[in-house]
Amino acid sequence: MKKIIAGVLAVMMMATAFAGCGEQTPANGGATGDVAGDESKTSSDVELFGEEDNISLKVWGPDKSVDLLKRQCDAFIKLYPEKKISIEVVAQGESDAGTQLLNDATTAADVFGIPSDHINKLVRAKVIQEVAFADEVKANNSETIVEDATRDGVLYAYPETADNGYYLVYDNTVVKEGNEKKLETVLEDCKAAGKKFIVSAGDGFYSCMFIFTAGLKTDGIEDDGITQKFTDYNEDEVVATMQAFSKLFHEYSTTFQSLSADKIPSGFSTGVCGAGIDGSWNVVADQTALGDKYSAAKLPTITVNGEDKQIISMFGYKFIGVNAATKFPRAAQILANYLTGEECQLQRAEELGWCPSNNVAAQSDLVKNNEAISAIREQAENSVPMGNVVQQFFEPVGNLGNQLIADKTDPSNTDYMKELLKETLQNIKDV
Amino acid sequence: MIKSYKARRIISNTIIYIILAVMGIVWVSPLAYLLLHSFRAEGMSTVPYLIPKSYSFENYINLFVNTGTLNFPRWYLNTFIVACFSCVISTLSVLMVSYAFSRLRFRSRKKFINVGMILGMFPGFMTMIAIYYLLKAMGLSQTLVALVICYSAGAGLGFQISKGFFDTIPRALDEAATVDGATRNQIFWKIILPMSKPIVVYTVLTSFIGPWTDFILCKLIMGDKVDNYTVAIGLQKMITQEFIPTYFKQFLAGSVLVAVPITLLFLKMQKYYVEGVTAGGVKG
Amino acid sequence: MKYIDYKQLNPFQKFAYNFTDFFKKLPGRVVGFFKAIGRFFVKLFTGIGKGVANYVTRFIKGDFAVKLSYLIFGFGNIMKGQIIKGLLFLATEVAYIYFIITFGWDNLSKFGTLGTEVTQIVSDGPFKKTIWGHNSMLILLYSVVAIAVTLVFLFIYIANTKSAYKLQQLKAEGKHIMTFKEEIKDFLDGKFHITMLSLPVTLIGVFTIMPLIFMILIAFTNYDRTHMPPGTLFTWVGFDNFADLVNVATGGKKGVTFIELTKWTIVWAVFATFTNYILGMVVALMINKKGIRLKSLWRTLFVITIAVPQFVSLLLMNQMLQVDGAINILLSDIAGQTVEIKFLNDTALLARATVIIINCWVGIPYTILSASGILMNIPVDLYESARIDGAGPIKQFTKITLPYMLFVTAPSLITQFVGNINNFNVIYLLSGGGPSTEELYQAGRTDILVTWLFKLTMNQQDYDLAAAIGILVFIVCATLSLITFNLSKSMKDEEAFS
Repeated sequence: MKKIIAGVLAVMMMATAFAGCGEQTPANGGATGDVAGDESKTSSDVELFGEEDNISLKVWGPDKSVDLLKRQCDAFIKLYPEKKISIEVVAQGESDAGTQLLNDATTAADVFGIPSDHINKLVRAKVIQEVAFADEVKANNSETIVEDATRDGVLYAYPETADNGYYLVYDNTVVKEGNEKKLETVLEDCKAAGKKFIVSAGDGFYSCMFIFTAGLKTDGIEDDGITQKFTDYNEDEVVATMQAFSKLFHEYSTTFQSLSADKIPSGFSTGVCGAGIDGSWNVVADQTALGDKYSAAKLPTITVNGEDKQIISMFGYKFIGVNAATKFPRAAQILANYLTGEECQLQRAEELGWCPSNNVAAQSDLVKNNEAISAIREQAENSVPMGNVVQQFFEPVGNLGNQLIADKTDPSNTDYMKELLKETLQNIKDV
Repeated sequence: MIKSYKARRIISNTIIYIILAVMGIVWVSPLAYLLLHSFRAEGMSTVPYLIPKSYSFENYINLFVNTGTLNFPRWYLNTFIVACFSCVISTLSVLMVSYAFSRLRFRSRKKFINVGMILGMFPGFMTMIAIYYLLKAMGLSQTLVALVICYSAGAGLGFQISKGFFDTIPRALDEAATVDGATRNQIFWKIILPMSKPIVVYTVLTSFIGPWTDFILCKLIMGDKVDNYTVAIGLQKMITQEFIPTYFKQFLAGSVLVAVPITLLFLKMQKYYVEGVTAGGVKG
Repeated sequence: MKYIDYKQLNPFQKFAYNFTDFFKKLPGRVVGFFKAIGRFFVKLFTGIGKGVANYVTRFIKGDFAVKLSYLIFGFGNIMKGQIIKGLLFLATEVAYIYFIITFGWDNLSKFGTLGTEVTQIVSDGPFKKTIWGHNSMLILLYSVVAIAVTLVFLFIYIANTKSAYKLQQLKAEGKHIMTFKEEIKDFLDGKFHITMLSLPVTLIGVFTIMPLIFMILIAFTNYDRTHMPPGTLFTWVGFDNFADLVNVATGGKKGVTFIELTKWTIVWAVFATFTNYILGMVVALMINKKGIRLKSLWRTLFVITIAVPQFVSLLLMNQMLQVDGAINILLSDIAGQTVEIKFLNDTALLARATVIIINCWVGIPYTILSASGILMNIPVDLYESARIDGAGPIKQFTKITLPYMLFVTAPSLITQFVGNINNFNVIYLLSGGGPSTEELYQAGRTDILVTWLFKLTMNQQDYDLAAAIGILVFIVCATLSLITFNLSKSMKDEEAFS
C-alpha cells in the first residue's frame, strides 16, 4: 500500500513538474533553438539519466545545512523510482570545498556547495563541470547571479543562495529609528550609549567598501585570467571618500573597533557592542545574542563632501557545482539542478534563513517578512559581485582598511591617501 | 654596603624568588585564563573582563553530547590511537637509528649522519601534496594508518639527541659483552636499552605529543572523512568563521582536555625528560 | 700554540683558548666544507667508474652460473647451494619487472614531457563529459617513485652479481659457504647496522626523500596557477624559475618584498634563538642556584606550557592581544582607563617585538629543561680557577657559564636557528604576518619567508616559484648547519667516552 501511495505521489510530482516546464517551453525553445525534442527535457525527465543507473553520489554542504540536505536528497531519490540512487551527504564547509577539490578531485564530492570566489580556480584546473541546464538557470535567476558564475560565456555552477554578504546589524535600543540610515548617526548613537561599533576593517572582504563606495569597483578579469580589471573611476572622489571614512573612524576612535566579525554577536551578548557590519552567516548568532533588540538594515550612507553616498559592499553568491571527475555526470547535474530549484531554496530560507537566489523564491512572503534577509537583499542591490575578484585582491585591500583606521594616519593628508590608493591598486594588479 | 655574606645571599635569593614568582605567573596566566574561561557559562566567544562571572560544566558536557558534526569524543579516541601507534614506531625508529649511528661502525656512516641532519630543513608544507598522493597510491588515504605513517615516518631523522645520549655510554660495556659472546643485537636489547630509560621516555613523550598538535597535514589526508579527524582539526574547525560564535567556549574546553593528559604525562616523566635532553644535548 | 704550552694552561685559560680557536678556524672550515663537497663528487664519479669496471671484470672472470645471474637474478646463488637467498634475488627481479610493466614504465615514458594528452570536455546531449588527459603532477610523482625503485633494484642487481662471483671464489678456494640461517644471524651481529637502519631508512626514503625530490623537481617546471593539473598540463622549463627569482629579487615590488622579508627573517631568527636561549638560561640559573627552594615547582610552572598544543596557545595569545583582548583589559584595569593597544596591528616595531616576546613564552620552557641539566655538568674546576683569578659572580657568568653553554650547545643553537628560519607556526598562527603594509607584495611586517611562501602557494598556486625559493632557503640552512655540526665538539669528540 505504501508503495502505491509513493508511486502516485511521485507521478503527481512529476506531472506538476512537467506542467511547470510546459508553460516555460515556448520562451526557452525559441531562444535556444536546440535540436527538436531537447527543449522539452528539463531536469525532471527521467530519460535524462541515460544509461546511468545504480547511481551513488556524494554531496557536500556546510554543517548547518546537512540535515535539510539529507531530506532534500531523499525527496530527490523518490522523484525517480525507476533508478537506483543512493546519496551520501557529508558536512564540508564551503571554503574548504574548493581547496579539497583542487587537492584531489577524485575523492571529492560529486555535488558541492562553493562560494563564488572559488569558481575561478576550479575552472582553471577544470575540476568543475559546466552547467547542463544553463537555460533553466538563466530563466530563474537574475542576470548578476548568472554572470557571477559565468566564465567566457559558459555557466559553471548552479546558484544556491544570494546572501554571501554583510549588512548593518544593530541593537535597536542603542541606534534610534531612522538613525541606521547614516553611518555618522549610527556611530553617534553608539558613542552616546557607550557601546562599540565593530567592523572587520582589516579584512579585504569588508574593507573593499572604502573604495567601492566611491565608484572604484572591480570589473572582471583580464583575458590572461589572473589580472584584476577595475571600472573607470575619479581618483579625487575615491580619495575624498577614503578620507571621509578615515576621518569618521578617527573622530569616533573610542567607539569604532576593528575586530573580526565573530566579535559582533559576542559583543552583543555581553552588551559591549551597539552595532556592527556583520556577515549573513552570523544572523542566527546575532539574533540569539540580541533577542528582541535585534534589528537589521542595509549598510548606511556616508557623507562625502556634503553628499550622502550609499556604502557599496562586496557581495557573493553561493553556488552548487558539479565535480568534473564524477562517475555519474548526468545524475550529478540533475541533482544539482534539483537542489537549487525553487522548492529547495524556499526550504533553506525557511529553516536556515538563507536568502534564495531564485527569482520566484525571492519574491515569496517568507523572504519578504524576514528582516535579516530583506536587509541583505537590499544591500545586494548596492554591491559588487565577488565572483570575479582575484585572490590577490584581498590582502592589499585589507591593508588599505588597516591604514585608514591606523592611529598614525592623518585623514586630512590627501597625498598619503593618493599614494596608498596607488600602491594598493598596484599590489592587486601585479601578478 | 652589605657586609655580611649571609645577608647578601638572603637579599639576592629574595630577588630571585620575586623574579621567579612574577615570571611563573606570567607563564601560567594564559593557561589559567584558558582553564577559567573553559568553565565560563555566560557570553559567546569573548567577554570584556578577565574573570568569568558564572561557571558551569556545560562546555565540557556539550563536547561529549552534541556529537552531530563535531564528534569530539570520536576524534579524541582517534588521536589517542594514532598517538600510541606512532609513538611506538617513532621511538623504535629513533632508537634504532641513533644506536646504529652511535655505536656501530660502518661505511658511509658520517655521510648518513649529515644527510639525516639536513633533510628536515626543507619547508615541510611543500611536500605534503606529494605525501598525500603516495599514501593514496598505497590505498591508505583517509585512514588512521596513513596518519600513523605520516607522524612516525620521519621520526628517524630526530636521532641527534638520543645519539648524543648513546655516545655517553662507555664503549667498554659493549666490548666486555662481545668478549662474553653477545651479539650486537643482544647488546642493544639487553644492555643499552635498559640503561637508556631517560632517552626512551624523552622520545616517547615528544612523539606522543605530535599527533595532538598537527592539523595541516592531517586535514589534507583526511579530506571529508570527518569520522577519522583528530582533535587538532576538530579544535581548529571550532574556531572557523562558521562555528566560532557558538563553539569558542567548547574550543577552550576541548583544549583543556587535550592539555590535561599531556601535562600529567609531562609532570610524571619530567625527571627523565630532563636527564634525556641533557645527556643528549650536551653531546649532540 | 704548541701542545706543551696548551697543557700548561689552567682549565679556565684552556677553555678560553678553545673558545676563540673555534671562531678563528671558522672561515677556513667554510672553505673546507665546499672543497669537501667537490671531493665528494669526484669520489662519486670515480666510484661509479670503478663499479662499472668491476662489474665487467666479474662477468669476464665468472663461470657460467655467474654469467647467467647477470640475466637471471640469484642463479649463481642457487647453483652454489644458497637456494633461499637466490630465490629472494629472483623474486626481486620478478617483482621489479611486474612493477615496471604495470606501473613504472607508463609513468617513466612520460617523464620527459610530463604528459601530452590534454583534458577535453565533450558534449553528451545537454551534458558535458570530461575526458581526462595526462596528469603532469602524478606523472612526475610516480616517475620519482619509479626511478627510486629502479635505483634500489640496480643496487640489488649489483649485489646479486657480486654475491654470485664471491661464491664462485669461495668455492674455488674451498671455503665454507654461509647457509641462509648463518646469514640471518650475521644480520643480528656483523651487519646489525643494516637491520637497525633498514626500517627507518625505508620510511624516511618513501615519506621524506621522495616527496623532497618531487618538490625539488617542481622548481624546474611551470606548475603554477595557469598550469594546474588535472585540467591542464605543466612541463619542464629548466632554470626559468630561478631566473625569475633573480628578476624578482632585483626589481619591482616582489623584489623589495623578497629582500625585506629575508632581512626580517634573519633578524627574527637571531632574536628568537638568542632571547629564548639567554633568558631560558638565566631562569634555569636562578632555579638551579644553591639555596633556592621548590626547584621542581618552579620548573613545573614553566614546563606546563609545553603541554598545551602550540596552535591552541598561539591562537589564544592572538585573541588576548587584540584590542578587546585580555591583555588590554588587564592594562585598562591597572591604568583605570581604557587602553586599546593594537599589539599585532599597528607599527612594525611593536608587532615584531610582540612576536619575539610571545615566542619567548613558547620557547623558554624548552631551554630551561635542557639548560638545567647542562648547568649541573659544567666542570667545577673551571669555577675554582676563576675564583682564584679573582672573578666575581658576574664575571664568572660571562666568562665561564655563558661561553661554556654556548660552546657545548652550539650545534643545538644552530638547529634552533634554522628551525626559527622555518618557524611557520608562531608567525602564521600568532600574527598571520600582520601588520599589513602597502609597501610589500602580499606580505605583512612580521611575515617571514616561509609564511610568505605559504601565502603565495595557497592564494596563487605558484608552486614552481615557491619550490625555487624553498630550495634556496634549504641550501642556505643546510650549508650553515653542516659546517657547524662538523666543526662542533660532538662530532669530533664522538668517542670521548669510548
